[in-house]
Amino acid sequence: MSTAVIEKTNLKLIDVNGRSVSYLEKGTGAPTVYLHGFADVHGVAGDLLPFHDKLAGAVRLIVPAHPGCSGTPDLSDGYDIEDAVFHYLEVFDALGLKEFNLIGHSIGGWIAAEIAVRHPERVKKLGLIGACGLFISGELIADIFMHTQPERGVDYDTMRNMLFGDANAAIAQRYYPNGRGDLDEETRRYEIIRFASFVGFKPPYLYNRSLINRLHRAKMPAAVVWGEKDHFVPRSHGEAYAAGLPGAGKLKVIAGAGHAAQFENPDAVAEVMLELLKG
Amino acid sequence: MIDPVQLYCWHFMSYPHLPADFDEKYDSGWVTVPNKLWDREKSRGLLNQYIDQLAYADELGFDGMVLNEHHQNIYGLMPAPNIIAAALTQKTKRGKIVVLGNLLPLHGNPLRVAEEYAMLDNMSDGRIVAGFAPGSGPETFNYNASSAKSRDQFWEAVELIRRAWTEDGPFAFEGKNYPLRYVNPWPQPTQRPHPEIWIPGARSRDTLTQIAKNGYCYFLSSRSHGKGTGQSMQRFAEVLKAHGDIYLPRRMGILMSTYVGETDKIAQEESREGIWYFLRNCLKGHQRRVGRQLTFGPGVPYIPPAEFRAYLASTDPTTPLLGDTRDWDDLQTSQSIIVGSPDTVYNRFMSVLEHAPVGHLLIQFHMGNMSDESARKSQRLFWNEVAPRLKEATGKRFNELFGADQQKQMEAAK
Repeated sequence: MSTAVIEKTNLKLIDVNGRSVSYLEKGTGAPTVYLHGFADVHGVAGDLLPFHDKLAGAVRLIVPAHPGCSGTPDLSDGYDIEDAVFHYLEVFDALGLKEFNLIGHSIGGWIAAEIAVRHPERVKKLGLIGACGLFISGELIADIFMHTQPERGVDYDTMRNMLFGDANAAIAQRYYPNGRGDLDEETRRYEIIRFASFVGFKPPYLYNRSLINRLHRAKMPAAVVWGEKDHFVPRSHGEAYAAGLPGAGKLKVIAGAGHAAQFENPDAVAEVMLELLKG
Repeated sequence: MIDPVQLYCWHFMSYPHLPADFDEKYDSGWVTVPNKLWDREKSRGLLNQYIDQLAYADELGFDGMVLNEHHQNIYGLMPAPNIIAAALTQKTKRGKIVVLGNLLPLHGNPLRVAEEYAMLDNMSDGRIVAGFAPGSGPETFNYNASSAKSRDQFWEAVELIRRAWTEDGPFAFEGKNYPLRYVNPWPQPTQRPHPEIWIPGARSRDTLTQIAKNGYCYFLSSRSHGKGTGQSMQRFAEVLKAHGDIYLPRRMGILMSTYVGETDKIAQEESREGIWYFLRNCLKGHQRRVGRQLTFGPGVPYIPPAEFRAYLASTDPTTPLLGDTRDWDDLQTSQSIIVGSPDTVYNRFMSVLEHAPVGHLLIQFHMGNMSDESARKSQRLFWNEVAPRLKEATGKRFNELFGADQQKQMEAAK
C-alpha cells in the first residue's frame, strides 16, 4: 500500500492493484466510507462539503472518487455495477479496512447498498441519502442523462431542479450555472455522468432489479434519508429501502431539501447520520 | 488514372406534414416529438415517392444513392435503411447503393447486419457499399444505446462482420460483447473480398486510426464546410501516412446539400420553404440551440473526460449551429446548403473541393417539405449542368495532386 498527496489539492492516492484511486480523508475514529453522488464532493465540488466536515468531527471519514472521477482511472472497457462493486471491495482491502461504516448518496448510495447485501459482515452501519438502485414499477427515477443536456445550449434549469429542491436556490445556481461554468467543476459533472452511464445506463436507469429482494441480508443498523422535494429519485424508493433494510427505522424526510439533501441541509442530514454512527 | 469525384444522391426522407406552428409548440424534432403528428392519410405513398426520387437519380446517371438510419424523429423516416435498399436493388440497375450506415450497437447481434448486407449485395449484383456507424446522442435516448459503451461495441461488431465476410466458416468469435460459437453466414456477399466499408467520423483520432488501418473509407460527419473540412482531410492523410498508406480521394467522402435552379433567384424562390422547414424543424433537437440538443454534450458521454475538458475549453456554448441560421446571407457563409444557378453551385462546390479534395460527394437534394417536382428538378439540373463540369475539373485536379502518389503505391504493391 502506498499513498501520496496530489499537489495543490487535498486528494490522496492509493494504489489498488495498479489503479491509482483518488480519495479524500478527514478525522479520526471509526473508519467510515462515504460514496458520492452527483451534486456532491467529486461529482461537482473539488473538496469535502460542510456535511462531510461534520461527520469527520466524529469519525475517520474516507471519501473515494468513483472510477473515471477526479483522477481515479476507468475500469476496463464497458464496465458495469458488478465491476464497480468489486472495485470498491479492492479499495477497502487496499485501505486495510476490514470493517467499516458505509454511507452513500444517490448513485453512491446504490453502490453502498450493493456492497452491504453482499458483505453484511464488513459493513457495521449503513446510511443512505436519496439512494437510487431500486426498481419500482411505475416509479421511475428521472432521466438525468437527457436532462443534463442544456436547453438552448446553455440552460441547466431542469438539471438544477432534478438535483435540488429549488432550482433557483443559491447553491444550485452556484454549482450548475447557466452557460459555461468553472472548467474543473464542469469536468467533474461530466465524469460522474459518464460513470453513471457505465454502471446504470439501462432504461429507466440506475437500478438493479435484484437488489430489492436482497436487502434483507443487510441487517446492520441503518438510516435512510430523503429530501422532501427530491425530483430525481421518487420518495417511494426511500420507503422501499427503509422497509427492506431490517436495521433501518422509518424513512427520515428532510423538509425543504431536494435530492442532494446533505448538500442543501448539512445540519439536518448530519444529525441523522451522527445518531446512527454513535456508539 | 484517378477517378473524378463520385456524385451520389442522398435522401434523408424527412417528414413533410408538420403543422405550421410546429416550431412554436414543440421542443424538439427528435426522440420526444409526439408521433400523433404523423398524418396517416397525407403520408400515404410518401416513402415510395422518396424511393422513386432516388431511382430517378440512378436513371439520370448518378454514381450512387445514399441511405441512412435514424429513429424516432422527423428528420429521417428510415429506421430500417436496409428495407429501402432492398427496394432500390429491384428498382435500379446501375449506381452504388450506399447505406451509411447501419447503427451497429442498436442491433442485438451484428451478424444480422453481415447477413442483410450480403443479401443486398447479391440482390444488387455487387452494388452495396456497407456503412457502419455507432449512433450518437438520439440513439442514446431512444434506443437504449449507452454512448459510453457503444464505441467498444461498435468496433467489435465491425470486426465480427468483416471476418464473417472474409474468413472461412464456421469459426468461433471470442467477442466480449458479441461472443459466438459458430460464425458461418450464408449467403456470402457478391463483391470480393467484401463490399467497401465506409465509416463516419468527426472528432475522434481513434476512429481515423481504425479507418486508416483497415482500409475503410472515411466519411466526415459534418454539415458545414470551410477550413475545417480541409483540416479533417489533412488529419486523415497524416494518420494514413503513419500507417504506411497514402491519402487518395477515394478514401474520403463528405455530405453537401444543394438546390439548383435556372438562376440564383429562381433557385432561392423554389427552395425557400423546404430549406427553412429543414433548418427550423428537422434540425430542432439536433443542430439548433433552441430546444434541447440531443446530439452531443454531457449526457452523451462517449469521449474520455480529458477530451471533453479540451472541448469545453475550446468552444463557446452560445455559438449558433446550422439550424440557428438567420437568413440567406448567413446560410451562404456556412457552406452547408448551396443554392443557386448551375454556375453558382459549380463554383461553390469547387471551392469546397479546392480545400478538401475528397473523392465522394454525398449530396442531399430533398430538404424538409420540398415538393417531389422541385427535388427532381434540382437533381436533373445538377446532373445535366453541374456534374459534367465537376467531373472534368476534378479528373484533372485529382490526377495533378495525387497521380504520382497513386503510381508509387501501385509500384510498391508489385
